[in-house]
Amino acid sequence: MAATMIATDRIPWYDADSGVLDRRIFSDPEIYRQELQRIFARAWNFVCHESQLPQSGSFFMNYIGEDQVIAVRDRTGAINVLLNSCSHRGNSVCRAEQGRTNSFLCSYHGWNYDLDGRLVAIPGQEAFYRNDVDKAKWGLGKAAQVASYRGFVFATLDPTAPPLEDYLGWVGRLGIDMIASNGDLEVVDGVQKNRLKCNWKLAVDNLYDWYHVKISHGSALRIGYAPEEAMAPLSQMVILGEYGHGIGGPGVTQAELDEYATRSKSGVGEPKWYDMMAARRLDPRVQQMLGPVGARSFGHPNIFPNLWITQFNQICLRVPRGPYETELWWFTLMPKDLPEDQRRFAIYMANHTFGPAGLLEQDDGENWSHSTRGAKGAVTQRLPLNYAMGRGHDRVQADPSGQSRIETVVNEHGQRWTYRSWQEWMQADSWQELMAHHSPAPSGVV
Amino acid sequence: MSAFESLDLQQRMLLTFEAEEFLYREAGLLDERRLDEWLALCTDDIHYWMPIRRTMNVKDLDSEFTKPGAMAYFDDDKRTLGLRIQRLAVGRAWAEDPPSRTRHTVSNVRILRADANEILVALNFHLYRTRLDSEEDSWIGRREDLLRRENGALKLARRHIYLDQTVILSQNMSNLF
Repeated sequence: MAATMIATDRIPWYDADSGVLDRRIFSDPEIYRQELQRIFARAWNFVCHESQLPQSGSFFMNYIGEDQVIAVRDRTGAINVLLNSCSHRGNSVCRAEQGRTNSFLCSYHGWNYDLDGRLVAIPGQEAFYRNDVDKAKWGLGKAAQVASYRGFVFATLDPTAPPLEDYLGWVGRLGIDMIASNGDLEVVDGVQKNRLKCNWKLAVDNLYDWYHVKISHGSALRIGYAPEEAMAPLSQMVILGEYGHGIGGPGVTQAELDEYATRSKSGVGEPKWYDMMAARRLDPRVQQMLGPVGARSFGHPNIFPNLWITQFNQICLRVPRGPYETELWWFTLMPKDLPEDQRRFAIYMANHTFGPAGLLEQDDGENWSHSTRGAKGAVTQRLPLNYAMGRGHDRVQADPSGQSRIETVVNEHGQRWTYRSWQEWMQADSWQELMAHHSPAPSGVV
Repeated sequence: MSAFESLDLQQRMLLTFEAEEFLYREAGLLDERRLDEWLALCTDDIHYWMPIRRTMNVKDLDSEFTKPGAMAYFDDDKRTLGLRIQRLAVGRAWAEDPPSRTRHTVSNVRILRADANEILVALNFHLYRTRLDSEEDSWIGRREDLLRRENGALKLARRHIYLDQTVILSQNMSNLF
């Protein structure tokens, strides 16, 4: 079976025993084609936040892999995720990125689809088709399952995928809880989108990378845009979950959390970067939501495959646009009741940190595009990549709450977990196989 | 501000010349990376803003651009413009090291309103960038610049940049428009 052969003939792409990765996974077009089938068409993918669809007819266009989908609220208030392709000739039935509509009218011959994807009108149904067409059979393609977790809407194109909450597991749910615990969220108008010449996985693995910050973003550090304690925190916590979800980045002890929160409330002492965030983490409601370990993490969650949740109030989708191109889509989410001055400051930070003109993110793209180029050379692409930082030197600590984690220094556990999981997704021929054969979250020495 | 059209030809020519002279000079400073001098041409209360543009159906066009206070690509005051410029001088600003090569072209300069203190100018711009051996970026759009007289000289008090791209087709926007 050709499909299986491609994904397995050169396995292991990633060698978990050595932390060595075959860089051809960033450049091989056939691997990319398989990723669209085996990862994106199978996974639960983030499509939008509920607040982006305030009314019946509100829609937001997104991609699942390279399948363009329309998330739209229908007349019953339900959210549908429709494949944007007419059943007659395949033309797009929606051309706008977002907006509001009564129906999706194909611009080619006028087949018209309701907000739930049902085909409701065909010009010439009687005169030309002689009533010999069953509209009930020719609606738009739809996501097999659509579900929402704390307002974040996900869809899967695979009817055999497990329910969203099972897919997320406690780690994926914690990742979303970390941003959802900020309050009753709504998306601030404006999704920043830009296109990089890199493989999507390089953008994903960077979100766990607290090694590059001081170097890649050295200029932002030097001008004092963000302090050293934010840019290069030494104590790190990594939380890994099945199917490839993870959270990696700064982790603090309970004593530090208390100290930061106390300082934030009293206003006494030199303020530190995480003070305000720590104060929020000690809110009993937030403690309840995040658990004793989660409340001590200021790390970056990734909802596998490609949704990064930042420490503050943004999420970034790494949208694959071919083996060598990726779009970054930045969504900014604020509590609806945030006081105006805090809202202004949060939007100021969001506008100046990330996005193509962000003081930090400007410097990321070229690294990833050149890493992609470095996976193309006939000989260069044979050279292995070292993802082995800290391998074998750390231990997963259990917790009575069930929140196992690694507490350590800067490391590459998150990246290794991503590629280990990625490989399992690529090897599996179905959800059934993936469920049976995927690795449980690591325990013991990692 | 009075309608520009109500002025006589000579007044219109003088104002247009003055505005164009300013715009060409500051574009040159950007291309020559004389950014501190460029910043000195900005008023202390400058608003430098590039909203996010979306592909919208005709009936939703009133929300084609994000509004002030929402998300944007640039939403800068003099301090944050200064940070962008300072960043380039301290090292490790990799997006611009090696530096990219830029060419700012402005055209179709139209004065919308003018009075003794301020000139509101609409123009088309083309920012062309090459980088390393083969990177090429091109940004075209419309700008509205508010020029204000301070101590007898024109300064840039507002720059609103309306790009013709929706998805930004570049790895970054590490240059000023």
